[in-house]
Amino acid sequence: MGFLDATYAALRLLFSADPELWTIVGVSLSVTLRAMLIAMPVGVGCGYLLATLRFPGRRALIVVIQGLLASPTVVVGLMLYLLLSRQGVFGQLNLLFTQTAMVIGQVLIALPVLIAFSLAAIQGADPRARETAVALGASATRVGWTMLVEVRFALLAAVCNAFGRIVSEIGCSLMVGGNIAGVTRNIPTAIALETSKGDFAQGIALGIVLLVVALGVNSAFAFFQGESRR
Amino acid sequence: MKLLAVTALSKSFRERRLLAIDELSLSAGERYVLTGENGSGKSTLLRILAGIDAPDSGVGHFGKRRFDWSPYPDWLRQEVIYVHQQPYLFHTSVVENIAYGLRARGVEAGERERLVAAAIAWARLGHLLRTPPQKLSGGERQRVALARAWVLAPKVLLLDEPTANLDAESRQQTIDLVQAFCGPETTAVIACHDRDMIALANRRRLHLVDGLIQQNSTPTL
Repeated sequence: MGFLDATYAALRLLFSADPELWTIVGVSLSVTLRAMLIAMPVGVGCGYLLATLRFPGRRALIVVIQGLLASPTVVVGLMLYLLLSRQGVFGQLNLLFTQTAMVIGQVLIALPVLIAFSLAAIQGADPRARETAVALGASATRVGWTMLVEVRFALLAAVCNAFGRIVSEIGCSLMVGGNIAGVTRNIPTAIALETSKGDFAQGIALGIVLLVVALGVNSAFAFFQGESRR
Repeated sequence: MKLLAVTALSKSFRERRLLAIDELSLSAGERYVLTGENGSGKSTLLRILAGIDAPDSGVGHFGKRRFDWSPYPDWLRQEVIYVHQQPYLFHTSVVENIAYGLRARGVEAGERERLVAAAIAWARLGHLLRTPPQKLSGGERQRVALARAWVLAPKVLLLDEPTANLDAESRQQTIDLVQAFCGPETTAVIACHDRDMIALANRRRLHLVDGLIQQNSTPTL
């Protein structure tokens, strides 16, 4: 099958309400959104604390987190696999090859991105913002919230970046999810599988969905950023 | 009557001694003009008095209550307000900026709206309510910042060069607002180089030289 034939078949597949294809899309979005819901408050919170607190080992911790930005997702998957497998520390939880395991893996991949970007956003904020909040009598909690609101567009960029990284990652999902049809098969693992089987139509159709999702998220970000500058 | 006093206050940056003040005493309801060369420590002194920066050493008294900077007490933050040379406005709205300190103090919504409306009228900001704070001119920002401070009715107002970098009209508006702010209930310390500001009526002069403060005992009329 040529590229044009495969693309034509992919478009037909997309508009045919194929249950298998849309189940895969559903698994992908469900896992990634759950992972983001967990990772966002934790990552942004840790980024804020790292930006504002001073403690021994802080510099080293920042270097480690920045280093983890480039960690291969397959290595995260391997570590998680070892922890969740029968002989692993958390083997009794029977989480391996479940969506929960995929969510945990994606949280671990998203966290360094969210922490590092939030840290940079808060460190880059105008120091007068914090000083003004403090001078006006705000509590520590209110000062923190104010700072997050002031750098909200930089935080939104962090969220978009983390979302883009985990929605398209394959290494971890494949290792701890197992690519089980209807359960843990998400868009990236399905594309890899269909391509290896020579079924390019399904691969291209899923690739289009993935691109639309990624473009949609980034367009929304660009829209909000534009609104803020009006 | 003495309202705010600091003793044995010192602050150094690296090897350079910036402040070495044996005693500084501010009386209730007085206005002070703080002068000194650039880099003489005027802003640093105001920031320390406001609890934004901490001195290397020093003890303070507010009325009869003693305080220090480890940490600067929350109750004192309710009494002392500091306004930057170039005020920072939050990326919300003019109204939300003015309401910020009231929210922080837990003032209930109805009372908050009433006070914010009064502050808007006081600073003549009515025509700017729909303008995003980041689009305001330097003079307009200064007026919003003064309204944001005024609405809290602080006992001590610390202004860091409020007329710096303003055009003539904005400068005069700011001077008028500062005059109106400094009533008998407010002790004001205004760091400045501005001749008109230095010449404000009924003010005392504080002059910083080599980290030491020279304090006039009588107001200039």
